[in-house]
Order: sequence, then C-alpha cells, then structure tokens
Amino acid sequence: MSFLQTEIITHSRRVCSLYKRSLRNIEAWYDQRPMFRYRAVLLRARFDENKNVKDLRVAQQLLDEGEKELFSQIHYQPRQFPHSPGGVACGREVIPPDWVLDYWHPMEKAQFPEYFARREQRKKEYVEWWEKTYGKPTEPAH
Amino acid sequence: MASLGRCVRLITRVRPSLALAAIPRTTTIGCLHTLNTRECTVSNKSLLPTLNKTCSVRNYSAKEPLTLDMIQQRVLLVLKLYDKISPEKLTMDSHFMQDLGLDSLDHVEVIMAMEDEFGFEIPDGDAEKLLRPADIIRYVADKEDIYD
Repeated sequence: MSFLQTEIITHSRRVCSLYKRSLRNIEAWYDQRPMFRYRAVLLRARFDENKNVKDLRVAQQLLDEGEKELFSQIHYQPRQFPHSPGGVACGREVIPPDWVLDYWHPMEKAQFPEYFARREQRKKEYVEWWEKTYGKPTEPAH
Repeated sequence: MASLGRCVRLITRVRPSLALAAIPRTTTIGCLHTLNTRECTVSNKSLLPTLNKTCSVRNYSAKEPLTLDMIQQRVLLVLKLYDKISPEKLTMDSHFMQDLGLDSLDHVEVIMAMEDEFGFEIPDGDAEKLLRPADIIRYVADKEDIYD
C-alpha cells in the first residue's frame, strides 16, 4: 500500500510512523512483556529528547538516521496481524464484489424476485443521489 | 541406514521408561474405568442434560460476538488502563490532544493498544483521524461490519 504515494505526508506523521514501526520491531524482538516495556520506555525517551527541535533540516536528518537505525535492526520475521499483508489469513476470505449480482442470468434472478426488485430500486436511488450531489456526468467525446 | 540407526537409538531410549511406566499405566486405566462407570450411573439418573451441554462447547476459532456496546466498553477500558489518561476526565467525546493532554506519540501508543485489542492493523492515514473514543468505536464497528 505504501508504494504509491497519493498525498503529502507531513513530517510529524513520518515521525509517528517511525515510532510505531520501531515499537512493533521491539515487540517482535522481545516476546516477554516486561522486556518489551523496558525497551519501549528507552525508545520513547530517545524520541522525547528531540521533540523541541525547531530546525526542519536537523529534524529531517534525525528522522533519516532513525530510519537507518530501524533498517539495521529490523526483525527477520516480524509478527503481523492475521489480515494485514504478510499475516497468516491475508486474502484468505475473498469477498466477491457487489456488481457480480448484476451479471446473473435472468433465470437466476427470477428465483429471487423481491431481492432484485429492491436492488433495482436502490440503484435508482443511488443514481439520483449521485446526480444531486455531483451533477450530471458529462458525455465523453468520441 | 541412518534412519535405522536412529530407530534403534529411539528404542533404546524409550525402553527403560516403558518398563518403568508399565505398572502405573495399568493403575490409571483401572481408575478411568471406574470413573467412567460411575459417571454413567449418575448420568442415567439426573445429570444427563447438563452433561450434554458441557460436551457441545466448541468454537472452531470463530470470532467472538461483538456489539456496539461491547466495543464501547472495550475501548473505554483500554483507555482507562492507559497511565497518561485520567479515568475521571474520559468521556466518549473527549479529544485526546485537547481535552486529555496527550501528544502525538501517546496517540500512536493508544492506536497500537487498539490494534492489539481488536486484532487488526490501523493504517497511519486512518489513525490520525481517530482523535476521540467515539471515532475509534465507529471505526472498529465499520471494520467489523457491526451496526447494532
């Protein structure tokens, strides 16, 4: 997800992201909670040391050094949440998209007449809402 | 050849313990047998419904049930246990930075605690919008598809 940057990421958000990744890295190295807490407090103290740095060039340099340090200490098999990329259940459950229902055969649709009638109604309402909110779509030039 | 050797080694390793364990094992089996018969006699009389209930507890690793109330309780409990938040000030609509006096790194820790509590990752872009407990509850409910 991080390969395509579609917005400007502020410096503070970069620092927060570095802090979070460093904490998760420590969590991966130290499985015992007290050990992890000790390291986490030390890390927090290191971040708090430089929290009043006003010069953005110095701050940028500190951030780069932090990124390098994290890269040098990264865990070889970090723990992931089950459904996040790299987790055990990532992509296990494939939910078919909603538009698949529109391509059912009419004979199949006829088996659920109430549902598909309501579905057509909802689609009409959605189109109305869309045109009210964003205006009528312009015809593309051929 | 190597596997054969390993088998032989295993047998030699196992044999003394087998000899030692032979006598106690028979006694435990005897105990089990008597226990089983006793249970049967009791269950025939009165305990049959309760025994059936206890047998059918198996979850197949399904998710535990969630409602909006449960999400709210869990979120507030996690926040109350965080040492930089005073439980008296905490309400559903209190702003983390303005009302509770946290800074952005504390906010990262709060979000990580929420990730650990509910077991899914919260990306940075979403995390910076979750500035009140009510926002977090709404976000978790949307993620888990809970609306009542």
